[in-house]
Amino acid sequence: MNESHLSVLKLRDLLLVTVPAEADDTTVSALQQKVLEAMERHEPKAVVMDISLVETLDSFFARTISETAQMINIMGSRAIIAGMQPAVAVAATEIGLKLGSIEASLNVDRALDLAEKPRRGHTSHE
Amino acid sequence: MKKSNKNSREQLAQTSAAPKSILRMLEMLVDTVRDYGVILLDPDGKVLSWNGGAERLKGWTADEIIGQHFSKFYPPEDVQRGKTEQELKEAAEHGRFEDEGWRLRKDGSRFWANVVITALRDENGKLLGFGKLTRDLSERRQAEERLKQQTKETLEMATVPVVQVWDGILLVPIIGTLNSDRTQQLMEQLLHRVAATNSEVALLDITGVPTIDTQIAQHLIETISAVRLLGAEVILTGVRPIIAQTLVHLGIDLSNVMTRSSLAAGLQVAFGLLNLGVSQNASNATRAAT
Repeated sequence: MNESHLSVLKLRDLLLVTVPAEADDTTVSALQQKVLEAMERHEPKAVVMDISLVETLDSFFARTISETAQMINIMGSRAIIAGMQPAVAVAATEIGLKLGSIEASLNVDRALDLAEKPRRGHTSHE
Repeated sequence: MKKSNKNSREQLAQTSAAPKSILRMLEMLVDTVRDYGVILLDPDGKVLSWNGGAERLKGWTADEIIGQHFSKFYPPEDVQRGKTEQELKEAAEHGRFEDEGWRLRKDGSRFWANVVITALRDENGKLLGFGKLTRDLSERRQAEERLKQQTKETLEMATVPVVQVWDGILLVPIIGTLNSDRTQQLMEQLLHRVAATNSEVALLDITGVPTIDTQIAQHLIETISAVRLLGAEVILTGVRPIIAQTLVHLGIDLSNVMTRSSLAAGLQVAFGLLNLGVSQNASNATRAAT
């Protein structure tokens, strides 16, 4: 897949990244590069990664997404993944993917709402 | 049974004036029975007689099969195990042998049969041969298996209900023990419903789970992290004292999971997450005003 097909949009103070349906290893790596470069330019409040098109998940993809999120965090922004499909969630749990510093939302719409609010603690402890 | 046999024999003796016609009638009866294969075997197990029912059931005509050994009707693995000799031996010893199992047709296909072998002896107790009655139970067996399958499916569906209790709130009341299969189903159902209803909160109620072990806890934690990946929050409710004790003793870390002792408390948390509130109407006036 050509790198120029990868969409990283600046939306007000956010970045919206659409992860393509069939992302091979090179594409995923290129996407990471592109997101980080765009972050440097725009300094967004949050990066929303729309993964609703993704139907299969391999370990490389999972690791890259989770690493990208960490990098986004280190660069001072929030990483939100949006629209993960149920089957992908099952696969992700099977290979032991932890959310860690990533925030998740049901779809892009909700992700925008989430980005407006101050970051919710991972969970409320009592 | 014995008594009626005796009676009919006596009757036969009484009507000995016309024994031939009665024998002829019996022959006709045997030959016209369609649903049973009625076969006579000699003491070694070779086929002596063959009726229409047997032909319909097994495919061989009388000419083809008479004189052959009856092990032809059995799957090779049964013949190897010596099942046919065992059956005759048992029938000879006890007078009767009954069995249900797979039998072969002429074309090699199998059918599920009920077989009764009866030893036939003369007045002096000398073994004359065996009577063999075969019935095709394939349909009954198929019906039984269908029923079993249906029951299983119904049970599986009923065991993992996912209920929407409020716009954005799902409830999963788990009743009974969780095993891997059930958890897998629970996870898939819950994830699909979360995605389909765009629910932000799921309440996992374990009030009806009698005990919890490391494996079940692991399954629950997996389910919860899968739901989180979709972007919904999970609240584990119905954590009874005994369950809380067990979890701590087993060293299971649930600090990342929101837990509440009752479903009501969990529901309150869910409302809080969605910025919803429940208020009590003070009087009819306020109700009218709203």
